[in-house]
Amino acid sequence: MARPSPFGRDTGLQSRMLLTMFLLGLVYVIFVGVLFAAGASAVLIIVIAGGLFLGQLFASDKLALHAMGAKEVTPAEAPELHAMIDRLCVQADLPKPKVAVADTPMPNAFAMGRSQKSATVCATTGLMQLLSPTELEGVIGHELTHIINRDVVIMTVASFFASIASMITQFGFFFGGGYGSSDDDDGPSWAFVILVSTLVYVISFLLMQALSRYREFAADRGSAVITGRPSGLASALLKISGVNERIPTQDLRQAAQMQAFFIAPVGKQVANLFATHPPLEQRIARLERLESQLQGTAIASAA
Amino acid sequence: MGLLDALLGKRKVAGPAPDRLFALTTAYVDLESAQGITTRGSAGIVFQQIATADFREIVSDTQELLQGTGKDTGSTVEISDDEFGYKWVVVRDPDLEDLVVSVNTVADNLSVGGYGDRILAAVFAFEDAQKQPLYLIYNYKRGTWYPFAPAPGDKQRATERELQLKAQIGAGLPMEADLARWFPLWGIPI
Repeated sequence: MARPSPFGRDTGLQSRMLLTMFLLGLVYVIFVGVLFAAGASAVLIIVIAGGLFLGQLFASDKLALHAMGAKEVTPAEAPELHAMIDRLCVQADLPKPKVAVADTPMPNAFAMGRSQKSATVCATTGLMQLLSPTELEGVIGHELTHIINRDVVIMTVASFFASIASMITQFGFFFGGGYGSSDDDDGPSWAFVILVSTLVYVISFLLMQALSRYREFAADRGSAVITGRPSGLASALLKISGVNERIPTQDLRQAAQMQAFFIAPVGKQVANLFATHPPLEQRIARLERLESQLQGTAIASAA
Repeated sequence: MGLLDALLGKRKVAGPAPDRLFALTTAYVDLESAQGITTRGSAGIVFQQIATADFREIVSDTQELLQGTGKDTGSTVEISDDEFGYKWVVVRDPDLEDLVVSVNTVADNLSVGGYGDRILAAVFAFEDAQKQPLYLIYNYKRGTWYPFAPAPGDKQRATERELQLKAQIGAGLPMEADLARWFPLWGIPI
């Protein structure tokens, strides 16, 4: 009786995401194999890095909120934002996340937390001043989709081995021949491990950036599905990026580490391959396509 | 929402849960006789508005339909937008059962038109023996009920009263077990 969802499915996006995750996993499996072949000290590195990883997973939201100068706000302090999130949570069937506000003119928003229960959504005061309620709803919908899709955990896990690889690369170059002298044992030499680590780091970095871009597309799409207003988010993105390109640079260093979790990147993006966020034109184009699917005017092949 | 869906970033809006709206009519008998809680003769259903032609048509058709049946039952219908851009269909009728039927008509019409996943909640207005306003909210996504008791002051809620109400209603209504999902609705137009 009910007609199918007007938004259909984005099978292409999902298969690209799956392929990227598969390739990332493959790179890591090979990497672990090489590490084990290299001997116990490498395993020790994994244990240490594993501890760091857990620390990151459990403390990253607080660190990030602190770095942004964000403060959790009560419903009395930010009634409109809370009420908007309440309603979107009902619509998305999601437990209500904590709500935080960062007092900065830079318009941005991000979502933090490893699970739906411990999630925090943060918006900046600049964002709330810049956007109309409909546009803000689109942005919050995007962040709520990040929470639903567990993007913080997925990107933390995805970056785990990349950080080990980068540690070994730096560690290896630093101590140079110290370990390399005992080349006569059975395992591969340290020079080889360093080489592999460097390769793993480069490849996984590129794959991770690709994965991040795909997840941004998915979050845009999720926002359109939750709010029912693809054009609201599109208009918000246009407004935000118009302002973000003129942002003073002193915020940039502080903001750079947070890049992956922002609604729109800060500053000019270098090149497609190295970007955490897809280019604005592509995001707008996809949202426009969703809007025409909603209006029932889309060409059949667009789905 | 399975793990694979989360991994692949699939997002679907949950449609209406199994309908437990009509549980209110039986629960109300107890509520009225044992607790002295009576209907204020109004109920509303709130949904997102979608800017498409067929959506607007469904809403206006529903309004006409309710106005038509209202001639027999004596209920009146209003449609309004709230400050968050959501639409409310508000029905007024002293008989609770008529209210439930009218709210269900709106939900049915939206579902048949393919917009069932846009419905947020149905709200029924009550008052207790001390004439304090109380609301029972039906969450369409989860098919559960929860109480909402605004307190004097700006956006304050009387949590103690709500918890009492939950205990008083008891097994009569399928209540939302997760207190974190007792979402308030401020500025209810009833």
